[in-house]
Amino acid sequence: MTEAVFRETTAEPVTKSVPLSHLSLELGHLYMEDFEAGPDRLREHFAEVRIWVDAVRASAARRSKRPRISTCFLIDDYFTRFSTPAELIPMVLKEAEKAGLVIDYLARESACAVADRIELAESVMHRLVESPPPGSYGSRPPVSQTGWLANGQRTPTMSRSALGEVKGWQPPQETAARNHSVFMDVELWSEKDGWRLWSCPFLAAVWQLARLGLLRHLGEPVLVPQDWKSEEFPHDWDRLPPLIKLTDTTAAFSAYRTCTLMPNRFLAVEDAVRLILDQIDVDAGALRQVADRSGGEGMAVPAAVAQRATYVFYEEPGDSSEAEGT
Amino acid sequence: MAAALGQSARSVLACGEVRTCLLPSFQALDGRAAAQLLRLRADDHVRVSERPTMYALSPEVLTGVDCRLPTSNGSKVRAVGTVVARAALTEGRLLQSTAYFSVPAAGPDIRRPWGQYLVRPGLVEPFGKLPQQATAEGVLRGAGRGELDLGTIAEGLLTALRRHALLDRRVPFKSRPTHLRWVARRQPEGERASLTNFTVAEGGLRTMELRLPQDVPAAAAAGLCEDLALHDWLLTTVQQMLDNSRIGATDGPSVVEALHPVVVHLLHLWMPRAHVDPALGHLWDVLEEKPGFSRQWEKLSRRIRDRLALQAVTTPHQALSPR
Amino acid sequence: MLIFAASDKGGTGRSVTSANLAYHRALAGDDVCYLDFDFGSPTAVAVFDVADAREATEERGLHAYLIGEVSEPERIDVWARTEHQVLRDPPPGCGRLVLMPGDVSGGEFATTDDNLRRCVDLLMKLYYEFDLVVVDLSAGRSYAVDMALEATAQPEMSEVTARWLVFHRWTRQHVAAAASLVFGRRGIVAGGVDRGHDEEALRGAIRFVRAAVPDPESPLWSQVSPTQSAWMRKTDGDLKQLASTAGIGYSQVLGSVPLEPVLQWREQLITDEDVLDSQIANQETWQALSRLAARLTDDKYWEEA
Repeated sequence: MTEAVFRETTAEPVTKSVPLSHLSLELGHLYMEDFEAGPDRLREHFAEVRIWVDAVRASAARRSKRPRISTCFLIDDYFTRFSTPAELIPMVLKEAEKAGLVIDYLARESACAVADRIELAESVMHRLVESPPPGSYGSRPPVSQTGWLANGQRTPTMSRSALGEVKGWQPPQETAARNHSVFMDVELWSEKDGWRLWSCPFLAAVWQLARLGLLRHLGEPVLVPQDWKSEEFPHDWDRLPPLIKLTDTTAAFSAYRTCTLMPNRFLAVEDAVRLILDQIDVDAGALRQVADRSGGEGMAVPAAVAQRATYVFYEEPGDSSEAEGT
Repeated sequence: MAAALGQSARSVLACGEVRTCLLPSFQALDGRAAAQLLRLRADDHVRVSERPTMYALSPEVLTGVDCRLPTSNGSKVRAVGTVVARAALTEGRLLQSTAYFSVPAAGPDIRRPWGQYLVRPGLVEPFGKLPQQATAEGVLRGAGRGELDLGTIAEGLLTALRRHALLDRRVPFKSRPTHLRWVARRQPEGERASLTNFTVAEGGLRTMELRLPQDVPAAAAAGLCEDLALHDWLLTTVQQMLDNSRIGATDGPSVVEALHPVVVHLLHLWMPRAHVDPALGHLWDVLEEKPGFSRQWEKLSRRIRDRLALQAVTTPHQALSPR
Repeated sequence: MLIFAASDKGGTGRSVTSANLAYHRALAGDDVCYLDFDFGSPTAVAVFDVADAREATEERGLHAYLIGEVSEPERIDVWARTEHQVLRDPPPGCGRLVLMPGDVSGGEFATTDDNLRRCVDLLMKLYYEFDLVVVDLSAGRSYAVDMALEATAQPEMSEVTARWLVFHRWTRQHVAAAASLVFGRRGIVAGGVDRGHDEEALRGAIRFVRAAVPDPESPLWSQVSPTQSAWMRKTDGDLKQLASTAGIGYSQVLGSVPLEPVLQWREQLITDEDVLDSQIANQETWQALSRLAARLTDDKYWEEA
């Protein structure tokens, strides 16, 4: 059998691979309210996180003698804009350092919506494949019409048929329920004046996919880290690259698995993230690359993408909202 | 765990349905427009090939299903998984959509977490053992109510594409879409693929059965079936236009008017196995032998050219260019 | 082209006449699709004599499609499935004749966005496939009429030629009711304009069909007394005057169908055999239907009055 002589590149697309660590460890996620609470809040946060970081590293060491772990940190500039990179980033880095932590990669939340002019969130939305409730034979309306994603069947709405039967309330049903349902319905975006605002869980799902090395745009890697050697940071968030590399670590940003450390108030959000991840048809080429390489290193990843993400939810340090005024 | 999944993923049957129709656009689309039309996902490639014919293939999109499989003997087999759908445009003129899936011989008795199905796109797992023969026959017969319906999925994609803002929704002539249902039985790796049945049924329905070695992906079979469906559509459509009384019985400029679209839009589309996987190209030979697809096309084209030539001799020059 | 068949009330012979028009066009070589949108009482199955085929497609008809229960409405190939002897052997060169039946247990329903979407998709698909699509709508200002108006007002249907036939019987009440159905305050024109139709264009796409019209000159009435005969002529004249005043006068009429027992009693397709061999139907009826069928697509009859 001879190889074909004639080729057309547009007819044979390829998926480029990305470098991969063993674990992507997220040290925190900063919102405006955290910032407004001042540097003490941040200090408390990192002090708590430090303990769990050690635990996570110990856990990773069970899989590999020399685990490649990269750390990252996310700052919200999407839902609320506050402060400036010039003011904020040095403070974050300083407090982390005080706790004995190193932040390798730093990202802006808006990068999960649009990075380098590529609409990541939009692309991920096109890849949603809803988990079919029993009885789905191929005719469900696509999710893009509703903007909501559930883990089962919603309570039926009133029939508008003129003489249709009127039924009482019927409960929703979780598709994978064990005896009883835990039904969840997640809002993926809202729209106002023709402008689409992605929801926090949806952007967090995009963030997880980026950390798991599963995002591509026309086969090319996206959200590629840019080296940032300078101590100085811009005065405008838009002038900061979406993802920057702050250290000269050899551990890549993306990894086979992720671990995220966060206060327990994010539990509901991250549950929603898992619900979303469980219903995304990830780029097949990227998926294969990760499976092959992790298998080759003797640390094969779970088949389902959502299973590759782990979390540590810890108690909100000190000044939590209920404890205010004490 | 990954290995266990891989094992059960070995399929014994691949099933699909192709729908073929004329693109509702007055002008044929060029490569760029074709790529734009078929961009079902913003981040994924549309494969565009300019030679030997202009051919564009969309990314594959998935539809989740959890329902009974169609079976010919009434046995009720629930199955869960994803069905692949994709669309193709040939010479910017003929639009096709395919829905297809593969089934393993057996599956677990409970539904897995959805994420586990998603990482094996195009695989639908039966609960328990698959009644192979009954399922193959059931798919070819068509889905009953509530059964996995490939036609619905293929038609849904076709409908969405026909609505695309890029199209002016004007057809150069009326034509009837066709649908071709196919079933491929898997056979051991290394054996030669073969075509065991191609049936032209009524109502624009075609059915096809083939044998497919384990190492040939279902997508390749889908590609072959699209190619056959496309050429079958051409034969059917042109034959129908020639059979029409207004061409058969009358003479004069109306003949030119009726045959003009065939010449402008269809005659150059005949290009068997242009984009078929090399492992399956030889399946065309059976149909070339009998009934002789290309022979029939030759005959039809000659009839059309003869009619037009005859007309040219007897008609004043200006009447030959309709409108 | 799309033809919508509406009527002011039941009993106008709308279904049977429009089915006959579809039949005539198919005989002439057009590919024709007939849609039974008479959700309250689908009758097309009887008219085309396809009851057995209907059995097999029960609950998969247009109604089930529009409310989203099935993804494609069932199609019945009339030539192949009819039990009518003559229809089974269509002459060579005729076009396809396809029936999309309604559902017996259907009933009326309100137009939702989803229903509308499906309706537009279906009409567009059939428009790409058939030379002529005839849609038989429930009588009066029905949901079916609403849906047809709304669908044809959608931007994606702007390229599609849609014409409306309004059937009415030749009586004072019917003439008034037909005028009101079209021009009344909640009529087709007003409803269409509400949904985005251009008033002039819509008016120009509506023509009336006078059904079951007794012709005073017909041999049928040759036995009546001179007094009766004079009365008939006078009444016919009065009706013409009334129609003209109501805005549905001669220029708005596409044609008339004579009073025909076969249409009235048996509600079926009239074949040339009925006219020539068994002679149960009148030659005039056949000719009227043939004329009417030809005028559907003859722009001369659809120019601004």
